[in-house]
Amino acid sequence: MKKTAIAVLVLFLFASLLAGCAKKEAQPQLNLFTWEGMFPQEVLEAFTKETGIVINYSNFDFNETMLAKLEAAKGRDYDLVIADDYIIETVISRGLAQKLDKSKISNFGNINPIYQGQFYDPKDEYTVPYGAGVQTIVYNDDAVDIDIKGYADLWDPSLADTLGIIANHRVINGMALKVLGESYNTEDLDTIRRAGQKLLELAPNIRIIKDDNLQDDLLSGEIDVAVMYTSQVTMAKLANPDLKVVFPTEGIGFGIMANFIPSNAPNPDAAHKFIDFILRPEISAQCFEWLGYYCTNKAADDLIADEYKDFLTLPEDFTGDMEMIRSVSADAEEVHTEVWTEFKAACGQS
Amino acid sequence: MRKKARFPGIYLGIILALMYVPILLVIIYSFNESRISSVWSGFSLRWYRDLFRDKDMLEALINSLVLATVSSLSAAVIGTLAAVGMPRVKLRGKSVVEYISTLPIMIPEIILGMVFLVYFSLIRLPFGMITLTVAHTSFCIPYIYMLVKARLVGIDKSYAEAAKDLGANEWNVFWDITLPLILPAIASGVLLSFAMSLDDVVISVFVTGVNTNTLPIRIYTQLKTGVTPKINALSTLMFAATLLIIMLSTWFGRKTTLSVKRRNT
Repeated sequence: MKKTAIAVLVLFLFASLLAGCAKKEAQPQLNLFTWEGMFPQEVLEAFTKETGIVINYSNFDFNETMLAKLEAAKGRDYDLVIADDYIIETVISRGLAQKLDKSKISNFGNINPIYQGQFYDPKDEYTVPYGAGVQTIVYNDDAVDIDIKGYADLWDPSLADTLGIIANHRVINGMALKVLGESYNTEDLDTIRRAGQKLLELAPNIRIIKDDNLQDDLLSGEIDVAVMYTSQVTMAKLANPDLKVVFPTEGIGFGIMANFIPSNAPNPDAAHKFIDFILRPEISAQCFEWLGYYCTNKAADDLIADEYKDFLTLPEDFTGDMEMIRSVSADAEEVHTEVWTEFKAACGQS
Repeated sequence: MRKKARFPGIYLGIILALMYVPILLVIIYSFNESRISSVWSGFSLRWYRDLFRDKDMLEALINSLVLATVSSLSAAVIGTLAAVGMPRVKLRGKSVVEYISTLPIMIPEIILGMVFLVYFSLIRLPFGMITLTVAHTSFCIPYIYMLVKARLVGIDKSYAEAAKDLGANEWNVFWDITLPLILPAIASGVLLSFAMSLDDVVISVFVTGVNTNTLPIRIYTQLKTGVTPKINALSTLMFAATLLIIMLSTWFGRKTTLSVKRRNT
């Protein structure tokens, strides 16, 4: 009895090891490396059906993990990575990305030029943007007396204790900087401190500071106004289409996600094919509706369903008045942290 | 007397509510129509349908189960051998070795993950199921080692000595005396390791490869885009499976004890 049990166990061990090793190998592959849930299942299936390329979708949790894995693999293993702007700057500077062969990307012209030529890739040699996030103001019109047009309106005394904001110190400090007419990325320490003073005046209006599921509090009526990420705005708007989305008049700060091909990717052809595939207008529209980030494909803007349009595409009169939030010097970062801590204490949060 | 007895009931109620209401909510919201977790918008099985259509998710689940089984069983063999063998070794730095052997659960996981990443790429081991198994086995070993060691301390040496006195060799002693006595410790060690392996994200994300994805990695890396109730559906199914296994094992357990009793009388 004991012996049979052990024999079965050993057999199971071997069988499961074999099962783990035996993998589909014959077909052409694409090793995609990004967060989970970046593409609708149908799009991935359609790509495999059309090209015969099997997608191996593996995930990382943080941009920094991706960088560590890419460095350990010396740019091998992965064919296509989608990550955030600031980390791509590092990836490119360390020579871990390869230049795109634009002759293989017939849909390259579809990209919205507003999202091109950014700091991480000024000449658009390495990257193709895939989705942008912007911190927007969303509010419940019925519960708010004033018409919110920009960040400055959030200081209005009538909004006392009704405001929920995300816990990103650069975004929130940046809000105050913008109200003062300064840049998000100013290196002037006194200016950052002045923004801090301005921020303290906002404290009585703040009810919640948190990063995850802020949209739930807006939907449940716990707060009436929220400053939050695009993906949260999408969820909130889908649940309650009456919410108002505001592009702050002071200008906005984007974060862009982008595709790049690692320097020693095993299947660069497949990666180019995939980039070209998701740049098709109809595929793009499907992706962004699913993803809930701003559409970075100009040609897809018109295909996005009306219910999504006002929070996934830029307004008609948008002039490109935007500034990306970038890394600042250690000194400036320290003052930012100081200002943020003081602000949170003033809001009664630790 | 009655008044006194009320407090334990309240206490128990609070603790049980704290532990089980979240699980209950996960189950309830897996049947929610809406994608947003705070709003109930009607009963639907759409997330279960989505789940079964998502082959990658099911593959990740299978990967996770295989990985947890293989690494907890390998760790059981290595950990038991270590615990049984260590007292017999006469070595100068034995206490140091014993101390070091529990290190994998003392070191912060994130550092262990980084170390594994660097080490595996140094020896050019291809990332995938193999690296995952090695990494998970190594952090599972200490659990088994410590449990078995503690159990061995409580066993009377005279059993083994009596067996040897009656002519049993070392192997027989281990197989017929020691192993049955430490089996409960090994079993609980395996269960603990299985659970640790099944929910590990931090180390796995560093040592996983292009082809293999585990379930916790997939769930955790969804945070960027928002976790869907598909995960609730999967959790509900896993919860149901666990419950079924526990019920079956209790049932079988009772049956065997009953038959043993019947035989004895």
